[in-house]
Amino acid sequence: MVIALIVVALPAASARAEAKKYKRTVEKVTVPDVYLINQDGKKVHLETLLKGDSPVVVDFIYGTCTTICPVLSAGYLNLQGKLEAKGQAVRLVSITIDPENDTPKVLKEYLKRYRAKPGWDFLTGSRADINTVMKAFNAYIPDKMSHYPLNLIRSPKDGSWIRLFGIMSSKEFLEEYQSVALVR
Amino acid sequence: MNRKRLTALPLQLLLVCLTMVLSLSITGFAATSPPVSDTAKTERLRLGERMYRDGILPSGASMPAFIRGDVEVDSSAFSCSSCHLRGGLGSYEGGVVTPPTTGNKLYQSYRRPPSLDDTHDRSGRFIYAKTVVERPPYTRNTLATALRFGTDPAGQVFNDVMPRYPLSDSDMAIMIEYLESLSEQPSPGASKSEFRFATIITEDVSKEERQEMLLPLQNFIDHTNQQMNMYNDFIKFGYSPTIEMKYAFHRASLDIWELKGPPETWQNQLAAYADAQPVFAVLGGISNGDWRPIHDFCEARRLPCLYPITDFPVISETGWYTYYFNKGYAQEGEATARYLNRLATVTAGTPILQIVQDSPAGKALAAGFDTAWKELGRPAVTTMILPADTLRNSKKMAKILTKRPPGVLLLWADAALLPLLPELTARLAAPGMAFVSSSYLGDKTATISENVRKKVFITFPYRLTPFVGSKDGGFDAKVPILATAKDFGDRRIVSRSTTMLKQATTRGLNLLYDNLYRDHLLDIMSMQMDLTVRDYERFSFGPGQRYISKGCYIIQLGPGKEPALLPRSEWVIQ
Repeated sequence: MVIALIVVALPAASARAEAKKYKRTVEKVTVPDVYLINQDGKKVHLETLLKGDSPVVVDFIYGTCTTICPVLSAGYLNLQGKLEAKGQAVRLVSITIDPENDTPKVLKEYLKRYRAKPGWDFLTGSRADINTVMKAFNAYIPDKMSHYPLNLIRSPKDGSWIRLFGIMSSKEFLEEYQSVALVR
Repeated sequence: MNRKRLTALPLQLLLVCLTMVLSLSITGFAATSPPVSDTAKTERLRLGERMYRDGILPSGASMPAFIRGDVEVDSSAFSCSSCHLRGGLGSYEGGVVTPPTTGNKLYQSYRRPPSLDDTHDRSGRFIYAKTVVERPPYTRNTLATALRFGTDPAGQVFNDVMPRYPLSDSDMAIMIEYLESLSEQPSPGASKSEFRFATIITEDVSKEERQEMLLPLQNFIDHTNQQMNMYNDFIKFGYSPTIEMKYAFHRASLDIWELKGPPETWQNQLAAYADAQPVFAVLGGISNGDWRPIHDFCEARRLPCLYPITDFPVISETGWYTYYFNKGYAQEGEATARYLNRLATVTAGTPILQIVQDSPAGKALAAGFDTAWKELGRPAVTTMILPADTLRNSKKMAKILTKRPPGVLLLWADAALLPLLPELTARLAAPGMAFVSSSYLGDKTATISENVRKKVFITFPYRLTPFVGSKDGGFDAKVPILATAKDFGDRRIVSRSTTMLKQATTRGLNLLYDNLYRDHLLDIMSMQMDLTVRDYERFSFGPGQRYISKGCYIIQLGPGKEPALLPRSEWVIQ
């Protein structure tokens, strides 16, 4: 009886994992030469931050966002936890699309609320710089109320970016990440 | 199946499901009739509210939830109200439609017209979240299933962004009872035919300023009632209104709540007004003093107060019921801190002296600076709070500055200090900058002596770029309006009150339809897109954001009697 009920209760989740609900493209991105500000109030050169020989994941969220951002952030947290369990450090970058409101303090509190571990940076900056960055990533969102779920993963192999539009399961996210990682 | 699939799921989720299934198989769907509890109804509703708003279980533990099938999340960062909002009427943001969660709506069948968005992939973009087209009414039983397993009464599976909550029967009963109570009755002061509003005026406001605030409000009330008369004629002549029209017209009335005597007595006065004749919301309001007693009253009564004219708003991260234009004087102090923080010429060793006139304005400016400076990780600056007569005494002031000449001088004082500026700035060490507030100096700001203008930086919390629209905030004028030195000291009461009315009505009241709940009004106002308005560069919103204009320029004055306003920073300084 118990087993039968579990089987009834779970197929929805299993079936969903099979049909991909997100769109994957590989793109070239010229990261703009801008300085943004992280959750500690430190200036960060974006291009330098995103370079390196391990993959880096980027998303666009904001501190008081509902619906999508919590889902994207839960995905970050899960990826961080899973890779950490394998002894791998993951580099995660969130960039705010609400620079008016998102001061370093707001960013820091957001990360704390999600119990983010070191390695997940949340960046703010001037609206002009944030717009430039969004446009460079083919992620321009003119108004934060009409944003969409997007993750980008930089491949350290050739510097290309995997653009993932839509909501992934944590398994899919991990697979996409590992597809570009040099060490599995 | 499925061995493989089962093992792929996190052990924790399996255990949770197992526990739930066991408990359900023993007790049946107990949520059908909530278990008898000794806890009083009000206490149960309080616990339910805490689950809904903060994601905290009655036990005090955080409410477990799973999204996207297998990701465990902490509901304290992911509460019901973050998407369904406080009023429970749902939201639309980022392409995600969040449907209502109130008992009133859930226990009715739901059907929406088909939409062009009912497709999986359009124009190369995934339409990743939409509501179902149709569902039967929920029962307590099917609602419990929906929350636990993410399926509606017709068996349709929810979108991945909706968490699944493995709640125990007793917690589920508390949650459902809360949802049933949520936005159950229309809020006081609103009915299908009428909105009652009030505005608040304190006795320190001049006759002229009182009129400036009241005129746009009274015009709005007259106009609203005139529209209602036209609508009634329309019906009388036999036309059938559309559904939109049915909800678009209401009668409106405006009470003026005058507050007299000491601020400690205001809350009682407000209570007497509100009890005698409840209102749906407070539109605007004006005071020269601290807004706190009114703010606190509105929080306690859960009464929306929309954009009062005040330089002393309550600075709070949790305040809910008052929408402010900005943080007033505190915002100017904050902008100064952020501007200084990024200057290479201001190092850790640069002495900064903050001279504060012993007045509410001076103290509010200093508090804004201190808070932001601390947030930026900087050590506290030397602060001296001085009475007005000391500030005007050049000998005493010279002595203060000679003792240890500051590189940066913050002068949070009124215009009586201006004649001393040349002498004071002459005593500064490098980099030799003085900061003043245009709101505090008022119209005298333009008279800052020409020979010190290069050293004096001024906070200016209003728009500098041209505004194409009329002076009262409309969009009908052809000539762009430019900020000039003549604007110093203008409190912009008419234009800001007009902006408030447009905000409250076109973006709020008109979208309520038949959901006449105060919380819902605040919810929908918080989910607006950014706006351009007459007096500020940008209004931006978001759940919980209550200071809607976030900017403040740092400017300097050009030469001449009508100096140009020269921006030295962008609108929002990061």
